[in-house]
Amino acid sequence: MNRIIKFYHECGSPPSFYRITGHWLRPMFWLALTLSIYGLIDGLFLAPEDYQQGDSYRIIFVHVPAAWMSLFIYAIIGIAGIMTFVWRMKVAEAVMMASVPIGALFTAVTLLTGMLWGKPMWGTYWDWDARMTSELILLFLYIGVFGIYAAYDEDPRKAARLASLVAIIGLVNLPIIRYSVEWWTSIHQGSSISLMEGSTGIRDWDMLRPLLVMALATKFYFIYSMLSRARIYLLRTEKQKQWVQKAVLGAQPSGGAS
Amino acid sequence: MSLALKPGELAVIAGPNGSGKTTLLEALAGLSRLTVGERQYGAAEHPDDWLANSHYLGHKLGNKANLTCAENLAFVAQMNQVTCPQQDIEAALEQAGLAGHEYQHASDLSAGQKKRLALSRLLLLGKTYWLLDEPFVNLDHAGCDWLYAIIECHVQQGGAVLLSAHDQQRIHDLADHHITLQPI
Amino acid sequence: MQFWSLMKRDVLVAWRKKSNLYQPLVFQLLIVTMFPLGLGAGAQTLSKIAPAVVWILALLSTLITLENIFKDDYEDGSLDVYVLSGMSLSLAALSKATAHWITTGIPVVLFAPVIGMLLHLPGHAYGILMLSLLLATPIFSLLGTVGSALIMNIKNGGMLLSVLVMPLLAPVLIFGAGAVLETTLGNTAMNHLLLLLGCTVLSVTLAPLAAAAAVRINLE
Repeated sequence: MNRIIKFYHECGSPPSFYRITGHWLRPMFWLALTLSIYGLIDGLFLAPEDYQQGDSYRIIFVHVPAAWMSLFIYAIIGIAGIMTFVWRMKVAEAVMMASVPIGALFTAVTLLTGMLWGKPMWGTYWDWDARMTSELILLFLYIGVFGIYAAYDEDPRKAARLASLVAIIGLVNLPIIRYSVEWWTSIHQGSSISLMEGSTGIRDWDMLRPLLVMALATKFYFIYSMLSRARIYLLRTEKQKQWVQKAVLGAQPSGGAS
Repeated sequence: MSLALKPGELAVIAGPNGSGKTTLLEALAGLSRLTVGERQYGAAEHPDDWLANSHYLGHKLGNKANLTCAENLAFVAQMNQVTCPQQDIEAALEQAGLAGHEYQHASDLSAGQKKRLALSRLLLLGKTYWLLDEPFVNLDHAGCDWLYAIIECHVQQGGAVLLSAHDQQRIHDLADHHITLQPI
Repeated sequence: MQFWSLMKRDVLVAWRKKSNLYQPLVFQLLIVTMFPLGLGAGAQTLSKIAPAVVWILALLSTLITLENIFKDDYEDGSLDVYVLSGMSLSLAALSKATAHWITTGIPVVLFAPVIGMLLHLPGHAYGILMLSLLLATPIFSLLGTVGSALIMNIKNGGMLLSVLVMPLLAPVLIFGAGAVLETTLGNTAMNHLLLLLGCTVLSVTLAPLAAAAAVRINLE
């Protein structure tokens, strides 16, 4: 237990966060790469065809993990936002702002693959189905957090605190939005086929396995990408501090050698 | 740096542009947060005491353009929970040289008159501590003389004033404390 | 006491600047004219879209007034006056939201039947239309104070404000426009209205806190 607390405190200070996470980047990157290569091959070529949808269902191996990530990352942003807002933690600030573009990217991928899947399923690229609609609003939430940060570019700390407030407000509203949108479609569209309900054959282990592998791969990709962004964020916002000069100047010779 | 400002004293902050005079005053006033250091006033368990006994006047004067002078003063008094009848407001305006402008919108005043309107709040509210950011800017000679007079009067009556100024030798002659800020 | 003074001042300031008062209504009239021009003036087509259009117009016309709730005070420095008065900032936000609701929300509620009439909204829906807007306009004002407090330091913050508030207003639109739509279809609007009331209660409790936090951060 003590080690966990110590670890937590170390992560709270930018220099040790920078030092510790430096060792994680490479393993995370390779894990993400290997798992996604395996998952994509398994999902796109080896997994059996769906008896209803044929091959077109295979897009779920990208679509579903991306959809999971889009929500998961918003939760991370919300939690980091609370830490930024309440404790003014610089590392939480970096994690939050580093997560925003990745989350927005996953949300965009979810929407895009959903549209591609919608064409064979519904006969149209876009349908105002509950999941698609709330995913679109989620994208607006991401844009809002990013927008307020970008608008205050002359004072990054203030910008991050305002962005954290926006993230927290969004976190409170996300359940309301999702609930209301689901309720809305249930009233107006009766029984529209949702993307997930269509793929009933997913209980098959051969289909589930690549899905889980892809879910893991996206998590590792997120950790890798988020950490590298957060490290750069810290270097940029703390550039006048001594540890940054040490880290950057110290890294140069060894970086050149390896 | 440290400063102990007692009632009956005047302190002047000087320093070139960008040295942080405004930032310091805003933080002392309680508008923004002091990133380092602290402000002590009275008992620590009543942080609102400071707000109740001080008045800050910054670059942004806080006059609402489409309210009249009298309405502007009445609003400030109500927000500070000072009850003041109409004649007090008129008296304060008259002292500030704005007699006859009571029912004029603040937007119709000249820059110097706007400053006078803002400064007349100090007379009305009767707070002990005045924090003034560049109070002499925009005032003409008569205005400066008036401001010197009310500052001196306030200090003599047991008030305390902390103000920032540049190019005002006279205020330095009067001051009990001098603070000079240097840009980093 | 401070609550009333601040509210009274805001109402007075809005009253003196008359364009603030009629701007949303003129906006609604301008836009509503475009619907028949674009869709054709068939009464059936119009009455079908009327619940949604009246509601969206009410929302959009309020949206254009939100930016200045805190921005004006921040720019002329009168924000400092009430921040330094020791007044709770959440209370100040609530007071400003109330003033905004009085000067914008109530006119929008009262004007909605006119827009409804222009779009041939069925006769029995007017009561629910006004009731739903009566519940929703406070939400617009409250979320507006949050948005306005967030962007008060930004030059052209209007667009950003829309991006920030729009996701929060989506449920309100669903419940509100839904209530009117259900009524025109002959169904009960009770569920919609109760959910809308829930949103109102939630924003009255939470929005002032968020707005106060945003003002604090902006002053730091």
